[in-house]
Amino acid sequence: MTVTMTKPGAPARDRRDAPRRRRRRGPSAYAVLVALIALAGVMLIPFLVVVFNALKTPQEYTSKGPLAPPSGFNLDAIRDFWERVDFGHVLWNSVLVSGSVAVLAVLLSVFNAYALGIGRIKGRIWLLALLLLANTLPQEALVYPLYYMAKQLGIYDTRLSVIIVFTVVQSAFGTYLLSSVMSAFPRPLLEAARIDGANRWQILWRVVVPVVRPTLSVLLVFFFVWTWNEFLIPMVFLISNENQTVSVALGVLQGQRLMDATMSSAAALLGLLPTVVFFLIFQRTLSRGLTAGAIK
Amino acid sequence: MFKAGRSAALLAALAAAALSLSACGGDGGGSDGKVLKLWHYEAPDSAMGQAWNEAIKEFQAAHPGVKVKFEEKGFEQIQKTAPMVLNSKDAPDVMEYNKGNATAGTLSKQGLLQDLTPEVTKRGWDKLVSPGVQVTAKYDAKGTMGGDKWFGVPNYGEYLQVYYNKDLFKKYGVKIPTTFAELTAAMDTFAAKGVTPLTNAGAEYMAHQFVYQLALDKAPDRSWVDAYQRYTAKPNFNDAAWTYGATTFADWVKKGYIAKDSVSKKAEDAGVAFMGGKFPMMFSGSWWFGRVAKEAKFDWETAVWPGAKMTLGSSGNLWVVPKGAKNKELAYDFIDITMKKKVQNMLGNLGGIPVAADSSAITDPKVKKLTDDFTALAQNNRLAYYPDWPVSGFYDAWVAQVQKIMNGTAPGEALSALQKTYEDGLPK
Amino acid sequence: MTTHHEAGKGRGAATGAAPRPAGRARAREQLGYLPYLLPGLLLFTAVIGVPFLMNIGTSFTEWSGVGSPSWIGLDNYRELVQDGEFWASFRHNVLVIVGMAIVPTAIGLVLAAALTDLIDRHFGSRAAAVLRACLYLPQVLPIVIGGVVWSWLLSPDNGAVNTLLDDVGLGSLAHDWLGDPSTALWSVLGVMVWMQIGFPLVVFMSGLQRVDPSLYEAAEIDGATWARRFWHITIPQIRPEIFVVLLWTTIAALKAFPQIFVLTKGGPGGATNVPSYYSYVNFFEKSDVGYGSAIATVLTLVIIALTVVFLRLQGRDLGEEGR
Repeated sequence: MTVTMTKPGAPARDRRDAPRRRRRRGPSAYAVLVALIALAGVMLIPFLVVVFNALKTPQEYTSKGPLAPPSGFNLDAIRDFWERVDFGHVLWNSVLVSGSVAVLAVLLSVFNAYALGIGRIKGRIWLLALLLLANTLPQEALVYPLYYMAKQLGIYDTRLSVIIVFTVVQSAFGTYLLSSVMSAFPRPLLEAARIDGANRWQILWRVVVPVVRPTLSVLLVFFFVWTWNEFLIPMVFLISNENQTVSVALGVLQGQRLMDATMSSAAALLGLLPTVVFFLIFQRTLSRGLTAGAIK
Repeated sequence: MFKAGRSAALLAALAAAALSLSACGGDGGGSDGKVLKLWHYEAPDSAMGQAWNEAIKEFQAAHPGVKVKFEEKGFEQIQKTAPMVLNSKDAPDVMEYNKGNATAGTLSKQGLLQDLTPEVTKRGWDKLVSPGVQVTAKYDAKGTMGGDKWFGVPNYGEYLQVYYNKDLFKKYGVKIPTTFAELTAAMDTFAAKGVTPLTNAGAEYMAHQFVYQLALDKAPDRSWVDAYQRYTAKPNFNDAAWTYGATTFADWVKKGYIAKDSVSKKAEDAGVAFMGGKFPMMFSGSWWFGRVAKEAKFDWETAVWPGAKMTLGSSGNLWVVPKGAKNKELAYDFIDITMKKKVQNMLGNLGGIPVAADSSAITDPKVKKLTDDFTALAQNNRLAYYPDWPVSGFYDAWVAQVQKIMNGTAPGEALSALQKTYEDGLPK
Repeated sequence: MTTHHEAGKGRGAATGAAPRPAGRARAREQLGYLPYLLPGLLLFTAVIGVPFLMNIGTSFTEWSGVGSPSWIGLDNYRELVQDGEFWASFRHNVLVIVGMAIVPTAIGLVLAAALTDLIDRHFGSRAAAVLRACLYLPQVLPIVIGGVVWSWLLSPDNGAVNTLLDDVGLGSLAHDWLGDPSTALWSVLGVMVWMQIGFPLVVFMSGLQRVDPSLYEAAEIDGATWARRFWHITIPQIRPEIFVVLLWTTIAALKAFPQIFVLTKGGPGGATNVPSYYSYVNFFEKSDVGYGSAIATVLTLVIIALTVVFLRLQGRDLGEEGR
């Protein structure tokens, strides 16, 4: 057990950079690679369909059906949607809301989990279950009470109201995951830091956070993506078009009885590009692992 | 070594900046009588979208000092949040809203809508709209339609019709039916040649609208509809009309008039299949008209359900004025402009079924027939609304029960289940 | 090593029968961590705590969301107990838990291990990263769009799934996937697995970053098969993550509704209905906020009970072996 925990970082970094480890590529490794590539291909088929339809004209969609490939490269739907909902502005709202929530919720999760996981405060299971309520409570149940509170505070129809709500909602998962990870934290590291004279605040930032950093990156990505795709609460709280997020703006395409399939596909593509970019950027930190220096 | 501390500070600074950014902004409209805040959820290229855009221009020409702040909304957003929005200071001055007991009726009961009755008589809107269409604009104290007070103003109408693919009828040598007997004969011919005659969507409104239409064909008189829709008497779901409707529908699925594997289909897919030339007929609403005109590549025409005494249809959505609106006079002026001949005729020419247009001003023959058919239905009180209207949450029950019929449940059993949902949901 | 053991004993002493001084020191030690919990608790109280109490309050009333609610006592709960369809739909929910929690967690574990242990080591971290990104992507697509696309793919007359079956000579298996009550729920579960798989995968892969690769190497030198390494190294090492993912996806499954709503709307004929659907319909389609609140309250209590049981199990498990 102890072996695992001593300097977990150094070998992790080695593994990433060392080509020498790629030596034993048996046939079974290739088989697994091929299987995984095939699986990834299957997972992507629905995205291909979305791309197809985003590039079709409505007439083409009607005559050939949703699954046929487009005959040309028609960007009208994307352009029309951009103008119709002032997409640049909507995009900025979404980045602002999701970005703020991601950062704030990670911070909040770190604090909560430090007290519960490392501090092992008494009754932590009940406290944790309580904090988890933020996620377990169906959002429909939150809508009316939060609406009245936001109105009282004068923040109904502001992006701030949505940021506050989702910071709390998302931090439930962060608190749980981090406190689980932290409760398995190698105690000798903490003891060593304490002997060196570090106080709790310093231990948190210099010892604990560096070790759980991959988990923090995961949380950041999840919170960003989850908040980006949230629909119900933004729809209720962001009434003015100038405050709307991408997922709410997508709603104008789903009419009372008709939907605009080509423009919806185009809009979906536009809407998910930022989250994909965000994921790709942060995916590097996901596998970076620990740096040896952080643990000393 | 202590880099982590610095990055934490950076994070905190970022967060603070984001918060201060997001806190500002938001409150836009002024309340000095110079802004008309208008919301609707029609697509910009639809008939309503275009005609109302023209109305905005007219309004601005008539009110030079007033700024129109128009926002296109998602249908679902209005549908779900209307009670909350109207109860806040962010309510618009005038907005489009769904007609019916569960929507406009509920809002009127909650006291969130302005009673428009004085304005309606003053401006003569009641003279423009025929009585059959007025029903969905007027509600009583319980929020039931057909009441005495106007809470909305309908600008357009809608109804169900059969869309015929004339090319397919020609190809298979079938005559376009004008009576119910001809309709079944035509469907027999198609089915015998391996063509499913009717497109259908079991997962959405299309399927149960067949059942309702078939029941209407056997309904004794208008009071049957009023009992069901306006609670004037207790309806019996196992009476002759309903039983005929449900069993005939089940029969049609068996005979292949309606594809059995349309159980999970959505209306969008069913409509696209028709417009793609795969089905000779589609029985659905006038809301498809503009799209069929634009996207179908075959010769087509529309007509009221063959031999129908009554058919599905009503006024379109309503203009409503929230109780808390800041500029009600401007809102009335705007509604008035949309009821004027110019906008109504434009709506008509675009295929939007106006409620107060000059039939002679409509040029395209297909569009003229569409509007004239509606006018005839409305004036003779032959519009029977929609089957899912009477109680809230009834739509889902209808979809579920008709799917069961398609999958082999006995029609009587499904009707009894619907009766139970209906009775549980009646307003107390 | 020694420190580690003492720390472990100290903790055990604090919870069980222990010499007094150790317990008091432990309590003082814990107090120091309280300030870290403060912002979280305050925000929680405002955003979740108060609304939850308000929700319980409205569950005793008849209310349409606007205006003044009228007190009706336990009527909503009485109605709920008799609401046969509500309880019947819990049966579907058991299967939804399989589709959204158990299967994705299991597949996610295997995939994460394969990506970390095989692909990363033999083909480089870039290959692993690309594959992970592809598998995660369905999580990013808005559920509404994903649902529409899948209903096209599963469409009975010209859907891709049936066409593919025809092409490979299995045309007899072609099917109205979402329309036949016997396959609808399974088809929905399949789509859910597709949507859900990225979540456990990414969490597990991040957890595996903590594992020392030399453990695998030692095992490999000892001649352990991949399956044995997976069972004896991978799983024990990321136990905390496995617990978290399982609980989280189970909660998500109990709340699952958008996925079902966009694919089948609970159909055909209620065959894919789930309890959370009721709360949604009552809140927004029937404007029956009181009854909706009662459903939400019951559902929440069920989930809380499950959570506490689960956390206890997890605490015991990690307390015994995780350290």
